Amino acid sequence: MSPILDIRDLRVSLRRGGHLVRDVSLSVDAGEVHGLVGESGAGKTMIAKAVLGILPDAARITGGVVRFRDDDLLQLPPKRLRSLLGREIALIPQDPLTGLNPARRISAQMTDMLRHHLGQSRGDARANALRLLQEVQIRDPEQVLDRYPHELSGGMRQRVLIAIAFSAEPSLIVADEPTTALDVTVQKQILRLIRQMQERHGTAVLFVTHDLGVVAKICHRVTVLHTGQVVEQGGIADIMSARATPFTRALMDATPRYDQPADALHPVPEHIHQELRATARRFDEANP
Amino acid sequence: MSAPLLQVRDLTLSLPDRSRGGMFGKPPMVDILRGISLDLPAGQSLGIVGESGSGKTSLGRAIVRLYQPTSGQILFDGTDITNLDEAAMRAHRKNMQMIFQDPQSSLNPRRRIGEIVAQPVLALGVEQDRRAALKRADLALDRAGLGHAFARRYPHELSGGQRQRVGIARAIATEPRLIVADEIVSGLDVSTQAQILALLNGLKQDMGLSLVFISHDLSVVRVLADRVMVMLGGRVVEEGHTADVFQGPRHAYTRQLIDAVPLPVIEPDWLDSQPGTEGTRMVDIKGQTVLVTGTSRGIGKVFVDALLAAGAAKVYAATRNGDGAHDDDRVVPVKLDVTSAADIVAAAGTCADTTVLINNAGINFNSKLLDTDQTDAASAEMTTNYLGTLNMCRAFAPVIESNGGGAIVNMASILARVSLPLMGSLCASKAAVYSMTQGIRAELAARGVAVFAVLPGAVDTDMTRDFPPPKATPADIVAEVLAGMKAGEADIYPGDMAKGVSGGLAADRPAVIAEMAGYV
Repeated sequence: MSPILDIRDLRVSLRRGGHLVRDVSLSVDAGEVHGLVGESGAGKTMIAKAVLGILPDAARITGGVVRFRDDDLLQLPPKRLRSLLGREIALIPQDPLTGLNPARRISAQMTDMLRHHLGQSRGDARANALRLLQEVQIRDPEQVLDRYPHELSGGMRQRVLIAIAFSAEPSLIVADEPTTALDVTVQKQILRLIRQMQERHGTAVLFVTHDLGVVAKICHRVTVLHTGQVVEQGGIADIMSARATPFTRALMDATPRYDQPADALHPVPEHIHQELRATARRFDEANP
Repeated sequence: MSAPLLQVRDLTLSLPDRSRGGMFGKPPMVDILRGISLDLPAGQSLGIVGESGSGKTSLGRAIVRLYQPTSGQILFDGTDITNLDEAAMRAHRKNMQMIFQDPQSSLNPRRRIGEIVAQPVLALGVEQDRRAALKRADLALDRAGLGHAFARRYPHELSGGQRQRVGIARAIATEPRLIVADEIVSGLDVSTQAQILALLNGLKQDMGLSLVFISHDLSVVRVLADRVMVMLGGRVVEEGHTADVFQGPRHAYTRQLIDAVPLPVIEPDWLDSQPGTEGTRMVDIKGQTVLVTGTSRGIGKVFVDALLAAGAAKVYAATRNGDGAHDDDRVVPVKLDVTSAADIVAAAGTCADTTVLINNAGINFNSKLLDTDQTDAASAEMTTNYLGTLNMCRAFAPVIESNGGGAIVNMASILARVSLPLMGSLCASKAAVYSMTQGIRAELAARGVAVFAVLPGAVDTDMTRDFPPPKATPADIVAEVLAGMKAGEADIYPGDMAKGVSGGLAADRPAVIAEMAGYV
């Protein structure tokens, strides 16, 4: 079976020089949740943005292939790319408030996609929106449809965004730190919901996060990044084991745990950062 | 032993709720903190954990008098600082500093780091002379692990971790005895976070600092806090040694919070454990002290056995004449007629350790509304079913709250949502119960008491002899109620009839009303 998303040697560079993503390869199969893990500056969000074609102005793709099913997203005409986004590839953003238009009711924002991308009638779109809200376990979906985003809690807004993301039955969802802004009990509900929806619809998910705890609970495979390079790639059991690379293990040791005393916590040794930065520098010298 | 450095006694705080109230007139006041007490000995650290809206940040701000408490007392080093004016507070400010979540927004971008760190030293009169203040800033920057060379730099040249070190340097520059740190590592990468936590632990030991460490992250609190307080809805639900609380939480909310933290270990069942829908807390009967009304027969009687089987620590079995004796010694019979105000007051006193209240007592006269000779039925049903339940809620909500939270379960009926004219007066009383339950749920939402409405269909008891099938058995109803509480379903519809009618109402309300009318 060929993967839904296949990224080969993706390179993202700053227009003023220097690389943000250094020849990263990874693939996501149907029905798989693939974790993209790293600290700030590791390049995880840049990769997600490259897939969605929403890189910031200062950055551009300078190499590689982003194959989605049979298309290379990087070669696709803009119009064709736009028609894929939302319908075939959807996003669950980090901040549920910025992901929604504050001036429009939930009903309008949900039915837009269904009407314009899928050509449903007004009545069908509303009925489908209602069904989707039920599917993401929102009580009183009728009432929620008539609300504005600010009238909903953070968890409710994230449920609405998940409903929107799944509304067109996409084959790939990019989830960009989807639970970082939420309370921990709500985070668990949202993680469970993403997993349920993803399993029910067989969706491939590229799950961007900095949280190894979240990774352990929801991802099947993981790519660990540092300075725009792949440090490690593998199944979740390998990543979470003593077989993992020194950087991944150091990240684990630097993650506080409520079930362990303070002396179990060790900051990431500086030499590990330095070695990885040196590899990045060597890459830059070889690829100016 | 000397007195604690910081003592807080029964602190309450009310602030205007700016999300409500019109363009004119004052917005209504909302209770942010409700009777907080704590002791912090010198050199110790106290973690405060809770979710958004728990009041943890407001408590931190009230402690350093950024908010004026509404009532209660704050003692710092034995001095009552609760009502000191700002001039009098100034003498204490150098001894109590606060570090905020976002160092970026609290650092003046035009000032050099050295000046930023020296600012409180001058402003609070620790040094009168600018050069002496800058010297203290250098020392503080060294202690914060940045090195005094950073004094010449500007905030924008710094990484997030470095900016947070500046925040720490500024807080320790006046050599305080207490630091209140609010979410100071939450935006940081774990490798930076671990360094900042290590720095704070070192400073605490070297400088003998006392620390109030506020965070939503239980794992981070474990690293720094000797003791921990768990907050919910402006109250403390649990307090104790950090390791004890996290390894053996006593309160249901603490357990729920701990359970939701994703540890970096593979646990295939974790995502599906304790399913719940948003808004209602999940309540497990295990270890709870439960009061059930109307236990002489029917559902109430079955409740007692089911609660024991589910691991309740104690069951108060309330009946009108107090004859609820049981061979299990966890059952305590209580004489309680819910229509008697005196009985209710007495029960709230004798059952003061109640954490879950199940309002099961109810009556049904099988009376129509107009064409009936039971003219007293409506009044009697209202008195027992509605007012009895309401008065029990009024008496026991504060009891449950003071025990750290719990649940109230009100037995309504599917007939609360659609009238069966055959029993029109019962339906009206059950509709009142359901409406009242929603209202109480909203009032108690932030106060640690989950409120459940149970809307069963016909149950096979002697009260429903005349009602046509299908009827559910009391055992089935009770089992579904306990499962619904555990899953956090606000409205519980036990039995096929309840689910059928509820589904019917959602799909075609007029058809259900017509069907019910047909039984007259």
